Amino acid sequence: MKYLILALIGLIAAPLAGGLLAGIDRRITARLQSRQGPPIMQAFYDVLKLFGKEPLALNKWQIICAWVYLIGAAASCVLFFMQSDLLLIFFVQAVGAVFLVMGALAGRSPYSQVGAQRELIQILTYEPLLVLVFVCFYLATGSFNVSDIIAVDKPLLARLPLAYIVLTYALTIKLRKSPFDFSTSHHGHQELVKGVLTEYSGPYLALVEVAHWYETVLILGICALFWTTSWYWMAALLVCTYFLELVIDNTMARMTWRWMLKYVWGVGLAMSVVNLIWLYAG
Amino acid sequence: MSNLLLILILLPVLAALACFVVRASAVRRLVVPVTGGVLAAASVALLMQGPIEPWSPGALFGLSWDLIITVLDFALLGVIFFYGLKLKNVLIQLFTLAQIVLLAVFEFVMVEHAATPAFAADNLSLIMVLIISIIGSLICIFALPYMKSHEEHLHLEKSKQPQFFFFLVLFLGAMNGLVLANNVLWLYFFFEATTFCSFMLIGHDGTEIATKNATRALWMNSLGGLAFVIGMMLVYNGLGTLSLAAILSAGPQGALVLTGIAMMCLAGFTKAAQVPFQGWLLGAMVAPTPVSALLHSSTMVKAGVYVVLRLSPAYQGTLLSETIAICGAFTFLACAALAIGQSNGKKILAYSTISNLGLIIACAGLNTPLALTAAVMLIIFHAVSKSLLFLCVGTIEQEIGSRDIEDMRGLYERMPRTSFIAITGVLTMLLPPFGVLLGKWMAIEAAAGSIWVIIMLALGSALTVVYWARWGGGLMGSREPGKPSESLPLLINLPLVLLCVGAVVLSAATPVIYKTLIQPMLPGVGPAVNIGIGSLGAFEVYGLYIALGAGLVVAFMAGRRAPKLRKVAPYMGGANLGLEGSFNGPMNQPVAFGAGNLYLSEIFGEERLTMWVNILGAALTVLMIGGGL
Repeated sequence: MKYLILALIGLIAAPLAGGLLAGIDRRITARLQSRQGPPIMQAFYDVLKLFGKEPLALNKWQIICAWVYLIGAAASCVLFFMQSDLLLIFFVQAVGAVFLVMGALAGRSPYSQVGAQRELIQILTYEPLLVLVFVCFYLATGSFNVSDIIAVDKPLLARLPLAYIVLTYALTIKLRKSPFDFSTSHHGHQELVKGVLTEYSGPYLALVEVAHWYETVLILGICALFWTTSWYWMAALLVCTYFLELVIDNTMARMTWRWMLKYVWGVGLAMSVVNLIWLYAG
Repeated sequence: MSNLLLILILLPVLAALACFVVRASAVRRLVVPVTGGVLAAASVALLMQGPIEPWSPGALFGLSWDLIITVLDFALLGVIFFYGLKLKNVLIQLFTLAQIVLLAVFEFVMVEHAATPAFAADNLSLIMVLIISIIGSLICIFALPYMKSHEEHLHLEKSKQPQFFFFLVLFLGAMNGLVLANNVLWLYFFFEATTFCSFMLIGHDGTEIATKNATRALWMNSLGGLAFVIGMMLVYNGLGTLSLAAILSAGPQGALVLTGIAMMCLAGFTKAAQVPFQGWLLGAMVAPTPVSALLHSSTMVKAGVYVVLRLSPAYQGTLLSETIAICGAFTFLACAALAIGQSNGKKILAYSTISNLGLIIACAGLNTPLALTAAVMLIIFHAVSKSLLFLCVGTIEQEIGSRDIEDMRGLYERMPRTSFIAITGVLTMLLPPFGVLLGKWMAIEAAAGSIWVIIMLALGSALTVVYWARWGGGLMGSREPGKPSESLPLLINLPLVLLCVGAVVLSAATPVIYKTLIQPMLPGVGPAVNIGIGSLGAFEVYGLYIALGAGLVVAFMAGRRAPKLRKVAPYMGGANLGLEGSFNGPMNQPVAFGAGNLYLSEIFGEERLTMWVNILGAALTVLMIGGGL
């Protein structure tokens, strides 16, 4: 029963939280850029408007892919709230990520094709880091299960500080924020065309958007695992982390995939290894 | 029981002879499917009977089978040596001659010929027999129409199909013998027989490149054969037995025996094309597609991982075990990286096979019950999905005349049925809830305690996503509603559909496979396994399967709406011409647009990586052998 309720929370509350966060994100970003910014609820208005538009698609694969992206993201979020195995959660979110790319590849537009290729490189960059972060959890707590990880009596951040930094890299890439946002851009000299999202329109773009909210909540949930002993500190950690993401997003220029792959793998792997050795020795 | 073993090993031999002697194609079309059906039935019957205690067949016309195998063994080595001379390849001659000499010393000086049971089968053997007999047979059946059009393309004056099917069907018998053998000398004979069959099949087309690659396959596998003989001698020297069951129950022994085991694992490495021996399997791509499918899924390379996995009790808990895990993990990573740089579909499949075999070997090296479970799961599911994908590529290649994945863009428009099956095949290699991913998941959990292995698995796993997603997505495309689907010959359609359904349905049966086949054979099934599986939760995820399955149904229902929607053209930055696939270019002329995959060749290119991969792979292999000492 408890798990059913948790699952429902994951299914319903997560996208609401994610949408709200998207609104806050836009608002703070606007303020950082000396603009007023839209209302906090703007993300919901946008998605509702998209749902009301005429459904247009190039082919049925695209529709299927948009749906599976949403289902994968929602399922991984629900699994997380049900305190399941971290690796399972990881693989299920990979279902969504892969289908988003395949949907973009199914369209013949060069913009979506290029976006899809770049998104694949983003996946390639963050996936190993996430796995290694999960292994750090395993070594620190003896389990991959979220339920066991929550049950620790001391905040994990103390033992996994480097893993946390690695996770924030993964977060930046997964949220497609600068300097790692090249898969959702770029049309010549403007931002209207969104790379991997180019061919998704109307209700299908709305599905993709909702899926993205689920993903945001999932990643922040994983961040929350680093401080499960106190609600206040957990909240503080998440707020600081997300604010940091925003600042980085607004102060950094977009990088190339070469730079991302080499830099993030280099630094991320090195930090993971150091933290892993620390745990093995400890 | 004896009848079943005879059917599984000797029936393919007889069928092969029938295909060879009676050259009419009608005979082949009858013999091959019937043999396949009988083999599949026999393998299931053997499974029903359960494990076989060590057992020896009687004599044939008063001659002991041991003697017959010995004679055949020397004959086979003689034939390989003859080919070494014919091909003027010093390596083959050297390795084969050394094998003949050492084997003669072993057989006539060292071994005291006490009766050693020739056959034994535990669940691992039974699983292997199922894979070989069912998947192998399907591939042989697929080969019937395939080879007909293959030869039509080549405009041969005289059909070489009798010879082709001789070796193809013979291969199944040799493989069944290999996985059922208990006497190490028998195992060695069948091991060599698979080497020879694969050599003949790779070189089948007789072109210069085919001969070159067949030669390479032969010398590399002869090296493996030599390592096997040396390993066999060292092990016998220490333990005084030829019985595999006895060797395994003895557990890890002194340094010399362990070195012997390491040499036998090296033989497995060459056969499973682990780096630095990956070259021969890539070269094997020149052979007709059914050969590739057979080599990659149910035979040959699986013989290699089988040997390493089979021997795992004999090196459990030793440094050798750890080094085997590292070698396997390195192959997994290196070949996944190499696969990214490829656009040739068959090469991608080849690298991904080697990569997966590396993962299986890494699991064997990790040597915990969880890891061994992962290894067996991977063997099963990889065999199904990979054979499916190879057969798809073969079918696509005969239709569009290319095996390049760039040429397969939007193939759904032209070959909806094959594309759909291929996309399903790609997904079963990559995503939950399918079996290959379950195996990978277990492998990662099992490797969590081993820092270098886990890092390599994490990286390799991410690399895998790139090349599969790219390919699967590229196959998707638009299609006129109501256009008739492509038609495929029955004997092509049937194996494709069966394998596709098998790949999907078998995944749902994972808990059953685990409970009935894998769990009973793991030593010390105690708390360790329960904890391992418990944390894994792999077998309590039916709920997830149902949710994802239902989600897919929703997705496909939504997809059915597509034909009713207003047709739109791809976005071209507002410069669409109304012509599909072109935009308004300079001087108002239509320009066809092209998009290609990023192959990241400056990082993952074959010519950039191969040398370093080989050097590191060789170093690790030496470390592994040294680990025995």
